[in-house]
Amino acid sequence: MSPELALQIGEGAAQQVKRPEPDAGGIVPLWRQVPSQHRTDQNYYGLALIKEPVWIWSVPAYFYVGGVAGGSAMLAAALHGKKRLRRLAAWCRLLAFAGTTVGPALLTYDLGKMSRFLNMLRVLRPSSPMSVGSWSLAGTGMMATLSLLQGDRSGVVTRYGTALGGLLVAGYTGVLLGNTANPLWRERRLLLPMLFMSSAAASTAGVLQMMPLDKREEKVVQRFGMVGKAGEAACMVAMQRSDAAVPEVGAAAREGKGGVLWTAAKAALVSGILVELLPVRSPLKRKVSGALTTIGAICLRFALLEAGKTAAREPQTTINLQRSRMRR
Amino acid sequence: MTTPATGFFTDTSVCIGCKACEVACKQWNQLPADGDFFSGRSYDNTIHLEATTWRHVAFIERQQRLSGQSTSRPFSWLLMSDVCKHCERAGCLEACPTGAIVRTEFDTVYVQPDVCNGCGYCVVCCPFGVINRREDDGRAWKCTLCYDRQKEGIEPACAKTCPTDSITFGKLDDLKEIALARLQELHRRGVTEAWLYGMGGRDQPGTEGLHAFFLLLDRPEAYNLPPDPYVPTKGVAGAWGVMALAAAGMAAAALAAAHGRGGDRK
Ligand code: SF4
Ligand code: SF4
Repeated sequence: MSPELALQIGEGAAQQVKRPEPDAGGIVPLWRQVPSQHRTDQNYYGLALIKEPVWIWSVPAYFYVGGVAGGSAMLAAALHGKKRLRRLAAWCRLLAFAGTTVGPALLTYDLGKMSRFLNMLRVLRPSSPMSVGSWSLAGTGMMATLSLLQGDRSGVVTRYGTALGGLLVAGYTGVLLGNTANPLWRERRLLLPMLFMSSAAASTAGVLQMMPLDKREEKVVQRFGMVGKAGEAACMVAMQRSDAAVPEVGAAAREGKGGVLWTAAKAALVSGILVELLPVRSPLKRKVSGALTTIGAICLRFALLEAGKTAAREPQTTINLQRSRMRR
Repeated sequence: MTTPATGFFTDTSVCIGCKACEVACKQWNQLPADGDFFSGRSYDNTIHLEATTWRHVAFIERQQRLSGQSTSRPFSWLLMSDVCKHCERAGCLEACPTGAIVRTEFDTVYVQPDVCNGCGYCVVCCPFGVINRREDDGRAWKCTLCYDRQKEGIEPACAKTCPTDSITFGKLDDLKEIALARLQELHRRGVTEAWLYGMGGRDQPGTEGLHAFFLLLDRPEAYNLPPDPYVPTKGVAGAWGVMALAAAGMAAAALAAAHGRGGDRK
């Protein structure tokens, strides 16, 4: 069908057509991955039952940036009024501001229809974590800007507002992923918010550790980061254990790009903690630990997206999970 | 005056796999072609519902007889015209942050193309894998249950064209009666495997019932349908609760880090 030859006025006519006859590979890439062997499980030729997430790299990148922004917003509020930790508080305020500015840009980059980004704030829909998140991101962005401008003199409203918004921004992404039909994310929906929250604390500390800090500041950052890293590690262990319940879910988490990234995240996190625990005191140690934590946190978010894609591709993951739930 | 809820009842036992519904839908809604593509799987080259394919006929070849049927070899075809289910509680609708997805006066689920900003959240929240984002267009698209035709009082293009009336369009209450009568008739004739998928909230609590429901002759997964779909939003309160706890934890960690020994006391 050539859109140039016909006048289109129907329901779908507003769609733009880039290639009237796209090559088949672009439209249905999935069947190529279907093995032609006989399957014992009942499904429809092994074809995907649900859709894969369409999100590109900028979304997990945003998950990371948002986490740092949220963690720093909280820390900045906690540091308020501490004279000797002024510089650290200023760093935190700057990070919170930068994160809430870069974050929406990354999100917008993923939208197929960039011009319509403002529609995000057209309604507030409590049933949609994406909507709640957009509002809290916008609100925290404003608050973070205010507190950056006001600096030490920021008032109670700005301080607590930024902290509260920061907590939401750091954690809502976990709720967002869990609140989907994707079997892997759905199965982990109670762990994901904890994972994102603790990883946000770890990532914040990771970034701060890479900055020049004095002894006092270092201590604060280290303490905040350790709680985050321990929480992150605990959540990752809990996730791997819960995966064992339905073998297909575990396989989706382990296989392919997602599995590699997950392993990388684990390795980076653990070595970050180990370096941190080395009984030497040096800025280099601190920076290495911070860098490892950062790498781990970034890998973790990409691993979650990739594993979600793998889980969506295999129909048996969805089917077996639902069947086992029905039996329960 | 309220308009009664409308929907589809798709009786797969009479579907002959002619694909007229697919073509009629493409024609009426002026959806672009998906290109030349050979799947190598049964006769199904459409594969799946897509952003540009709002009706899809599934072809299932089975080395198995339908009860009440006699064939020289154990063999039967199952055919099914799939479509957006227009769920009573729709995952896509509850997830959409822009309010682009609305419930129409016919109780169907409709995506407003001028509001959708392509965030892609509905894509992961549809338990049936129906709605998708178009790469070249950037917005999410799916069956509208021919909203434009219904406004004029005419039935959707697929139902209109279906030569065997496998796709029946009408008021939901009427459809349920038709479906139950058909089910009884089939059972009377010995086709005992026939059953109704998603007709009401009792059969499918996860979605509280579908406005496009099906008479099937096998388990749902044979047709690429989920056995127990649920609207993701159902369990979201628990996740928010856990998040609140985690948030309290992070706040405590931040305060402890800032006020603890070695830090600065006011
Ligand atoms: S089947 Fe999917 S796209 Fe259709 S109404 Fe239900 S959730 Fe939405
Ligand atoms: S892609 Fe469009 S229709 Fe789907 S959730 Fe986002 S804004 Fe709503």
